[in-house]
Amino acid sequence: MSRPDEPEARDLVARLNAGKLSRRDFVTRASALGISTGAIGSILAACGGDEEVAPPPAETPPAETEPPAETEPPSETAPPAETEPPAAGDPADIAVVAAKAHAGYTVKVTYEGGLQALDPKNFSGPLWEELTGIKTQVIELPFPELYSKPIAEHIATSGAFDILDVPPPNIPSFVEGGVVAPIDDLIEQFGYGPAQEDVHPLYRALGTYKGQTYGIFDDGDMFALYYRKDIFEDPELMSAHESELGRPLAPPTTWDEYTETATFLTGKLAPDVYGAGAFRKQGSPGNQFAFFQQLRANGGTFFDPETMDAVINSDAGVKSLEQMLAVNKASIPGVEELDAVGQWTAWLQGKLAMIFSWPPTGRMSENYSQRDESFSFIPESTIVGKVGYAIMPQLNGEHAGGFVKCISADSKNLEAAYLTVQWLTSPSISLQRVTLPYALRDPYRISHFTSEEYGSLWPGAKDYLAMLNDAANNGVIDLIMPAAADYSFAIDRACSAVWGGEDPKRALDNAAAEWNKITDQTGRDKQKDAYAAFLTLPGATAENTIAALGQALTL
Amino acid sequence: MALGADATRRRLSQTASSWVDRHFRWLLVSPAVVLILALTIFPLGYAIWVAFVTYDFNIPGHAWRGIDNFKEVVTDPNARKAIATTAWLATAAVAIELVIGLLLALAMVRPFRGRRWLIPIFLLPLFMSPVIVGQFWALLLTEPFGPTNWLLGAISGSDVNIRWTTQTPWAYFSILLADAWQWTPFMFVILLAGLSAIPDDLYSAADLDGARPRQAFFFVTLPLLLPVMLVAVAFRVIDAAKIFDVIYVLTKGGPGTDTYTASYYLYEQGFQLFHLGRGTAGAWMFMILLSVVSYWLVRRLLKPVEA
Repeated sequence: MSRPDEPEARDLVARLNAGKLSRRDFVTRASALGISTGAIGSILAACGGDEEVAPPPAETPPAETEPPAETEPPSETAPPAETEPPAAGDPADIAVVAAKAHAGYTVKVTYEGGLQALDPKNFSGPLWEELTGIKTQVIELPFPELYSKPIAEHIATSGAFDILDVPPPNIPSFVEGGVVAPIDDLIEQFGYGPAQEDVHPLYRALGTYKGQTYGIFDDGDMFALYYRKDIFEDPELMSAHESELGRPLAPPTTWDEYTETATFLTGKLAPDVYGAGAFRKQGSPGNQFAFFQQLRANGGTFFDPETMDAVINSDAGVKSLEQMLAVNKASIPGVEELDAVGQWTAWLQGKLAMIFSWPPTGRMSENYSQRDESFSFIPESTIVGKVGYAIMPQLNGEHAGGFVKCISADSKNLEAAYLTVQWLTSPSISLQRVTLPYALRDPYRISHFTSEEYGSLWPGAKDYLAMLNDAANNGVIDLIMPAAADYSFAIDRACSAVWGGEDPKRALDNAAAEWNKITDQTGRDKQKDAYAAFLTLPGATAENTIAALGQALTL
Repeated sequence: MALGADATRRRLSQTASSWVDRHFRWLLVSPAVVLILALTIFPLGYAIWVAFVTYDFNIPGHAWRGIDNFKEVVTDPNARKAIATTAWLATAAVAIELVIGLLLALAMVRPFRGRRWLIPIFLLPLFMSPVIVGQFWALLLTEPFGPTNWLLGAISGSDVNIRWTTQTPWAYFSILLADAWQWTPFMFVILLAGLSAIPDDLYSAADLDGARPRQAFFFVTLPLLLPVMLVAVAFRVIDAAKIFDVIYVLTKGGPGTDTYTASYYLYEQGFQLFHLGRGTAGAWMFMILLSVVSYWLVRRLLKPVEA
């Protein structure tokens, strides 16, 4: 197999750069030279093109030096890699070779509408077509419709989708309803198993249900704390904070500290800067993630596993909601009406001293994302170089949402759909996807966290990656069981009722009654089994995070 | 043999021709009948069946449930609250639109300079999608980026921190504001047409009889405008009872379930959570309720004509 730095390969790259070679011809000739698809993708991305937005250079995957997949089938006995992609051949190469048999087919892929869909439209879709002849049709859906639309199409047996972007909480319902197909056989057939060892242990099981695999994990959506270093290191504020609150001005380590510090900073700096922000708008979504996160950080759980009665209205639940309410009061006015984009806007304009949110916050804060015109609706960051990263107060940040790529059971070409997913999520291609400036896909593989290329994207990128890994080590996951959407809706309503003036205890009592009704309607025994299965997943409670299980990953 | 075959062919042809002649009218209407059966009757029958079985994405199979789906809707506090909210929101919205629409129509019924420009401007909101209207008002009202609070603060000289879409009763106010902004022109244009149709002779006669303007309004304008008014109100009540888009964009039913209307509740049950049995049962009940209201309004509408 050739390496990109060999003379023939260098010549090929030079001719591509000089415009003497079309992208398609480049792909054909580079493949003939034995250059891996991951490397081809990197070169094409780095060279840019008229029809594509150029992603940043990504590190050359170690698998490039492996024998070509065409000549050596994947080894099933390959040892699991902790920090490297699998040794049995780049799964991206394996997928490309096998997928050529399906050239001409169009895979229909759902994505959350807007920014999430830019990757398949600008980068991975066109590249996949160049490599295999398989076209990609992107169907953009609002977040709540990522649940409802696949169900509607499945009931109608329309075959409208091949690949579904599924938040993990929806997987049990999709499996029970027959919306998604099991893919264990395909994973084995195309030798993708070892590459899964490269996924952070918190995320590995999120594509599985009742022992079968239904999807490949594709987005590490950990909540983390982002704070303004310039404010937290201001001598006057540090001194005042210490004298007023009796502790140094530092990233808060408990939720009470978070509120106190936010209140202090709002008192000192408003209306120019407020202590905190959040996304509390009903249906945005955000309330349920924040509540589930704090509930478990405060020692609470969702159900009594014996009776399956809801216990969200426990002391821990009420405390969580009261803390959230206190944060609202310490935050920018109108926080109850903010969604995630609204919060980002206020943050990037420098109006907030700290926020917790999804990982794109770190990239946008450094203007890394805004270099692409697709992000023009997000303001330029006024806080470049001023942002520090920390894991959430009380350690247990939520893995809020995230995506697993599943294959629709109604797909007319399961194999083409699966191979597309294998290629997209392979270590080499996924690294390029998570480093696209406009990407909303966040690091989730060990090789992402350790990537030198990613670590050099901005001065603090290494700290950012280390923090995301640490956040995953201590993170908790969303409630994953049938009717998860029903339970989440009830919590979202309870939270917004409290923002509207309802008593937290009463709101949670109502929500618990609603949860019990949902459980009865779905089947109490069935839900009991599902909840028992959920509790076995790492991150289901504060007691079984990856760190608490002694499996924390050190980079 | 050949003669026999020819005769058979002729006989068959005659039989077919005669059959076509006898059933020609049915053949002509059959495509329309098939379409109606496929697009209306079958879905209607299917919806009846769905309302009486388990049709829930989280529960396999379609077991017979009798009236349990209906019972679940009736006993659901969110559903009851949604019906009450729908009733009063629709009533309030239509009342506001009627009053403002009537005042505008009265102001515009006589020609004046600039009238031909003002009327199309008044009508503009009517041509917008309700989703756009909702988004427009969301951008104006919601903090921290909407200018409304800032503007009110500048006018009043003190800080204004109203949470227009996330606090009761302001959320209701926002919905009524958006709905009235869009649909008052509908009232206005219908009432303007009604006012224009009242003969000037009647006002001259009233004037000769010594009627004051107020008396002319109550004893000439209003009685003659009433049938038109009832048409406008009937259309708007039926439409306002189905209000969905503005709520979907502005409040998402919140805070809590305070701004859940029947349509929003049914949408959530049916198309977000896929409790289709329950959602369909609720939709049937809502349709029957709305039919009763519509029937009553139409009866009122026909009364003056019968008299």
